[in-house]
Amino acid sequence: MLEILAQTGFNALYAASYISLVAVGLVLIFGVMGVVNFAHGELFMAGAYAVVALYADLHMPFLVAVGIGLAFVGLLGLLMERALFRPLRDNPLGGLVASIGFLMILQSLAVMGFGVRMEHIPPVTQDVIAFSEKVRLPVARLYVIIAAVVLLSALWFFLKRTRFGWALRASAQDPEAAALQGISINQTARIAMFIGAGLAGVAGALTAPLVSVNPFMGHSVIITAFIVIIVGGVGSLEGAIIASVAYAFIHTVVTTFWDGVLADIVGLMLMLIVLIVRPTGLMGSADRA
Amino acid sequence: MFTKIHRAGFNRRFFLKTSALGTIAAGLPRAAAAAGGTIKIGFLAPLTGPVAAWGKPGLDGCQIWAERINAAGGIKLGDESFDVEFVSYDNEYDPAKARTGATKLIREDGVSFIMMLGGDTWPGVQPVAEKTGMLFSTLLPSDLSPDTTTLIAPAEVHPIYNVTGVEWLAENKPDLKTAVMCAQDDALGLPSVATYLAAFEAAGIEMLDEPLLFDPATTDFAPVVTRLLAKNPQIVCLDTCYSDYVHPIAEQLFQQGFKGQIISCTADFYDQMIAKTSKEFMEGFIFQFPDFDDPAMNADNVNFDDPNGFYAEYNKRHPGEWGAVSWEYASIMDLWKAGAEKAGSAEPEAVLAAMQEGGKGKHAFGDADWWGEELFGISNALVGAWPVVAIEDGKAVIKEFRSIPDWYTKHGELLRKHMSDYGQMFDQRG
Repeated sequence: MLEILAQTGFNALYAASYISLVAVGLVLIFGVMGVVNFAHGELFMAGAYAVVALYADLHMPFLVAVGIGLAFVGLLGLLMERALFRPLRDNPLGGLVASIGFLMILQSLAVMGFGVRMEHIPPVTQDVIAFSEKVRLPVARLYVIIAAVVLLSALWFFLKRTRFGWALRASAQDPEAAALQGISINQTARIAMFIGAGLAGVAGALTAPLVSVNPFMGHSVIITAFIVIIVGGVGSLEGAIIASVAYAFIHTVVTTFWDGVLADIVGLMLMLIVLIVRPTGLMGSADRA
Repeated sequence: MFTKIHRAGFNRRFFLKTSALGTIAAGLPRAAAAAGGTIKIGFLAPLTGPVAAWGKPGLDGCQIWAERINAAGGIKLGDESFDVEFVSYDNEYDPAKARTGATKLIREDGVSFIMMLGGDTWPGVQPVAEKTGMLFSTLLPSDLSPDTTTLIAPAEVHPIYNVTGVEWLAENKPDLKTAVMCAQDDALGLPSVATYLAAFEAAGIEMLDEPLLFDPATTDFAPVVTRLLAKNPQIVCLDTCYSDYVHPIAEQLFQQGFKGQIISCTADFYDQMIAKTSKEFMEGFIFQFPDFDDPAMNADNVNFDDPNGFYAEYNKRHPGEWGAVSWEYASIMDLWKAGAEKAGSAEPEAVLAAMQEGGKGKHAFGDADWWGEELFGISNALVGAWPVVAIEDGKAVIKEFRSIPDWYTKHGELLRKHMSDYGQMFDQRG
């Protein structure tokens, strides 16, 4: 039993890592720009396809492919900010609808470029750290965990210790007051979109060799991310991380000891309970919600 | 505005003349098509989305089939020969879209027959079938019921053929006595779970745990595999999981140190699975869908025309994309063509009667019976032998063709019991 618990812990840690990367990006975009980005799952997909193109097809080193994937999806985020969200800044519903349209465009581009079939990506490594016969941590999964810790730590440092980070937080708290202080709303929006999209992209790129990459892989990711940010508190980065970890552990434990379908139900129940008991989420504040 | 048109010479006589000419002109293309000899066949399956792997490769196979048939003179109905043309509609495995597609294919495209994957999409199409009398085919006989009189399952008797793999395993590897199973919780996964449970019970293989069902949206299979391996099974059964699940599950089994036997309904793109695991790990992996370059496909019992040539052409056009359904829709067309030529007509009712005449049919894997009254409430499934395939030295090899009816004669009651337990009998499905 202890071995199964330990293996479940590793499984949950991996799940928490990529979920938190996606959810934090989504929260950042919502917090700064006030837009619910439905295309966030497709940005995750775009990151995965960057690895398909660069690592699987062009045989670039995996980490180079991941880095380019991050930059590429970050640039996609900039494109979204300029072409979709900025013209609709005073119309949050318009931004949401535009993001749904962009989601379909990205899916169609992936279908046209790569086809509908799942992509084959050679394993980055087949090495496994074996703690015992039944407790094993594949090194490819360890990479995802390490990358999530590094990237989220870097984001925390950026937001708390740099002028750009302060500007971003100020814009998220009160855009008008921030603008009166001379902070460029356009610039903070650009930074938020680049980072938010880039985090989704890097999550997709890192996990690409471990999941089935297809044009529609963003669906389940965005649903999980929405559950997580509602539980964590819409607009709260800390809440998103805490909720990612909680959701990943609960979902993994229920799947392992009971049933995968039940795990989804429990995840939704968790969201429902939080909404009833604390409508603002675990770390959200009333004005953000 | 109407006054202006009238002044310009638009009177009732002019209207009637132009309308009549327009009507004749509109009718011309259809008349020309009939005279030119083209029969249209509808292909209503997922061409995009997560289930596309069981639609798109089938359409690709049909295009090759159509070219071969047309080059050989087409379909002969009476004294006339007709070319065959496929009209596809992507239903995205969505019942509402499937219904729209069926209506469009019948009303606008004038197809004579519609092939489907079936499953979740059939309930959307069933009212259209009832209303129009159009002949449909499905790859999933679990769609059949006494009400589906114009629906046939002439290629795949999913999931019943899965019993042959378990039966072969029990006979050839008698030391394997314990198993676990996982499946996605959907119209494809559940009847297959019931079938595998019956097959394992019939073979005296003990299930160590309840089948583990997972949401079709699952992307990370590590927890699923941890659960499967917790009971130290000798056999892990992957049910009828989509290839998007089979691959990551197999990879997880490899990474979490499983060294036992794997059995699965499909192993599409198994070369990629070998690349992600190892040749040794995949050795002996049992599934049900052969490569058509297998020498056993040239046996006398096989009715599929030139399987080796078809496989070579398919791989030339779509390298590395051969999968479970690449040949299936084409094999249905073989049966439909034979039925239509026998009937001398492409009319659905006449073709169906000709296909089922004498209760026998030429299935791709051998002569078979129209069957299914007990299980589906209607004998519209063509059932005979089915191949058991194992991966040996990195290549799929047909081990044996085994009779499904023979198994059913011995263990049919067991199958009906498990189907009933999972609510999968025809009178239980909603």
